[in-house]
Amino acid sequence: MDSISDNALMLKVRDGDLDKLGLLFERYKKILFGFFYNMSHDAGLSEDLVQNVFMRILKYRAGFKGDGEFKVWMFHIARNVGHDHYRKTKGKETDEIDNWKDKLGDDNMNREVEIEKGEDLDLLRLALKRLDEEKREILTLSKLEGMKYKNIGDILNCSEGAVKVKVFRALQALKQEYMYLQARV
Amino acid sequence: MDTKDLINKYRSGRLLAEEEELLDRYIENGTVSLDELEDLKGIKVNFEALPTPEPSQNLSDAFYANLEATKQKEQKSKALAHWFAQLWAGQPALRWAYSVGLIALGVGLGYLLRPGGEDNRKLENLSAEVSEMKEMMMLTLLDKESPSDRLKAVNLTSELPDASVKVTEALLKTLNNDENVNVRLATLEALYPYASHPQVREGLIKAIAMQESPLVQMALAEMMVALQEKRSVENLEKVLKNKNTPPEVRERIEKSIEVLI
Repeated sequence: MDSISDNALMLKVRDGDLDKLGLLFERYKKILFGFFYNMSHDAGLSEDLVQNVFMRILKYRAGFKGDGEFKVWMFHIARNVGHDHYRKTKGKETDEIDNWKDKLGDDNMNREVEIEKGEDLDLLRLALKRLDEEKREILTLSKLEGMKYKNIGDILNCSEGAVKVKVFRALQALKQEYMYLQARV
Repeated sequence: MDTKDLINKYRSGRLLAEEEELLDRYIENGTVSLDELEDLKGIKVNFEALPTPEPSQNLSDAFYANLEATKQKEQKSKALAHWFAQLWAGQPALRWAYSVGLIALGVGLGYLLRPGGEDNRKLENLSAEVSEMKEMMMLTLLDKESPSDRLKAVNLTSELPDASVKVTEALLKTLNNDENVNVRLATLEALYPYASHPQVREGLIKAIAMQESPLVQMALAEMMVALQEKRSVENLEKVLKNKNTPPEVRERIEKSIEVLI
């Protein structure tokens, strides 16, 4: 039902009722933020990218035909916004593994269990960051609230089955990276 | 292989390349679900539990500010378009002025882009020069020894817009003196379009008595009929009187004379 009303709202936006975009923004700001955050782990950047997505929706609203799900259309735009950003900043990012190790320091012995758990999450984030963009993206999409494999297939222009295989491969890679990092700690 | 065996083999990390492909296919068509691959369960759960922070209030503030700015900008441009449309609808005189303006522009452009008088003159000069060149070429070729060159020369006259006296004289000379029958026949044909010129006509009539080739004589007799030239009868009769004239030619000429008289 959500998607029907999403489409109805977007059609109104397209026809000039721009205020309705506010409702769509409220519905999707967290999901889009989550998408960009899991891709970049940078909250400020993720907010900027969410902003860009909604500005592009506004700019290209005439292109929304209403024959597919709004969510899928929006993620097409979101991916483009993301790609544009990563293309611009390519090569500027450094591998953080060594910095991260420095951060851990030598006093591992004194850490409490909670901190260790936090470290596990950090390790997992780092492992995620070390994946290539395609794998990181498929995992991020599969983690998003309300996102089904079919939706992801529509966004990536592939079948639901192909999405499953991609998630499988990405999880395998994530596990490998994670284990590699663990061995280095 | 049984799916269970396949999964077990996968867990122990001993899958062959083709078995990996098989596992991919099973995952793709749903025979094996990702949850069955327990080694990944842990990482999947942990990954899904990775906390994602909430976006700050800044995001919403910036969004609504941008939305408002866009709305105002669009309203302004809409108002301008509306004002223009009203102006248009309300004052038919404006529409007339626009139409008249367009027509004036069209006429003006047409005037500016008309073919220039100077250009035309240049073009005329150029084509006159080309004709002269062709004429010269034709006259030169007519003097060549090779009959094919002379044929070429004769054929060139068809490309001349209007043959000069020099050209027709040269053709008549060729008709009477060229040793090659084919050249003479071609010349006769080339002269036909100029038969309305009195000199050419005169030359053709005179040529009848001078020709010895039966083919040319017959062609000339036919041409005289086509031109309805009664003055040629005298010369045609001269040919008849000649003892060397072959009987077929004689017959043809007699017929021509009958028609002409």
